[in-house]
Amino acid sequence: MALITENTRKEVTEIVYNFFADECEVDIKDIHADTNIINDIDGDSLMFLELIEIFKKKYNLDIELKTIGKYSVKHPVQTIGQLIDMQLLIIEHENKLLELDQ
Amino acid sequence: MSQKKLAFVFPPFASDYPDDPFINLNGFDDCFRKFLSRAAEFADPDLIQFAIPSRTFLEDELKTQYISYIQACSLVTWFREKGVVPAYCSGHSMGIYAALFQSEVISFLDGLVLIRQAFKEIKKVTGKQEFGMCAIIGLNLDDLEQLIRKEKLNLKLAIQNSVCSFSISGAAKDILRLTESAQKEGALSTRVLNVSVPYHSVFLKDTSAIFSEFVNQIQFRSPKMPIVSLIDQDILLEEHALKDEVVRNLFTSLNWYKTQLYLQELGINRFVECGSGKGIVKNARFIEGDALFYTANSFTVILDQNKST
Repeated sequence: MALITENTRKEVTEIVYNFFADECEVDIKDIHADTNIINDIDGDSLMFLELIEIFKKKYNLDIELKTIGKYSVKHPVQTIGQLIDMQLLIIEHENKLLELDQ
Repeated sequence: MSQKKLAFVFPPFASDYPDDPFINLNGFDDCFRKFLSRAAEFADPDLIQFAIPSRTFLEDELKTQYISYIQACSLVTWFREKGVVPAYCSGHSMGIYAALFQSEVISFLDGLVLIRQAFKEIKKVTGKQEFGMCAIIGLNLDDLEQLIRKEKLNLKLAIQNSVCSFSISGAAKDILRLTESAQKEGALSTRVLNVSVPYHSVFLKDTSAIFSEFVNQIQFRSPKMPIVSLIDQDILLEEHALKDEVVRNLFTSLNWYKTQLYLQELGINRFVECGSGKGIVKNARFIEGDALFYTANSFTVILDQNKST
């Protein structure tokens, strides 16, 4: 279980913003916490998956994709801010993510 | 730039056309229009109307296959004129015909003939039955097979793209049920594909005899470069093996994941997706190894940069 510091949040936010600016070919200044990933910048679920892979490698995470999938069914992500919050939860709880709902 | 470590991959037919997929390829449009015009004369006059911004033909499976093949052959020719010839090539799904063209096994027109005949035989076999395919990402193979068994679905694994990315073929109603169950099971992405045919599955086994007879009438030359099979990762060098691959491609499960790992074992460290989409490039994020994957567009930028330094 990793400790989420202000630095981690900053790092994750930066990666997410840069990733979507690059993938969706939008100016990073046009991305905000309340930006809707699908409606506002034409993102898709594959991008979400790609980001998970990036964070899995970066933080050496032990988490199964289906754990994230099951969590996402109950906690759907629509905005960039929600996505960052979920990535932080994944980094913090890894495979114990679903225990948050118990 | 050494091309010994380069492989071209020909993608399945497109489900969408991104805007300006070949914007960095100077003169590509002229090359493409020449191939398009020949294909329109030979196979289907409607093809000449093709235009990317209007998303032409996306609802027509055969025309979409033609267009993907024409784009791929144009890319082969465009890169060849720039002196770029890969060490290996591989055809993902219906990209097999473009791989045959790349290695000079068949002519451009024979590729069109094979695509048309394969589609005709498939339609004969499927008849009025409702089939389909879906893509599921985020579950592993065991999870998927377990779901299919548990729910007694009439479905088969068609393509494995990575440890967590699959295409499934079978009865259309079961395809829908699987996407729903897979979501509940934790799949991060499920998508019903815009096809009415259960490609690469045993449901098309009855195409074998007649399509094989047809393929045997087409002249296959010795390949100028090795093609790696998506069925069993063999290096295809003989006429009979290439013909067998074309026939079995319709009704046998494919494995792109193993194929690209094998290509990496052979020393390949750069892959170029020779089509208008970037499905193979995106999929590479879920595959181990250090190889780099490019679209035709992004690879051209690298080529230009290397030329200017």
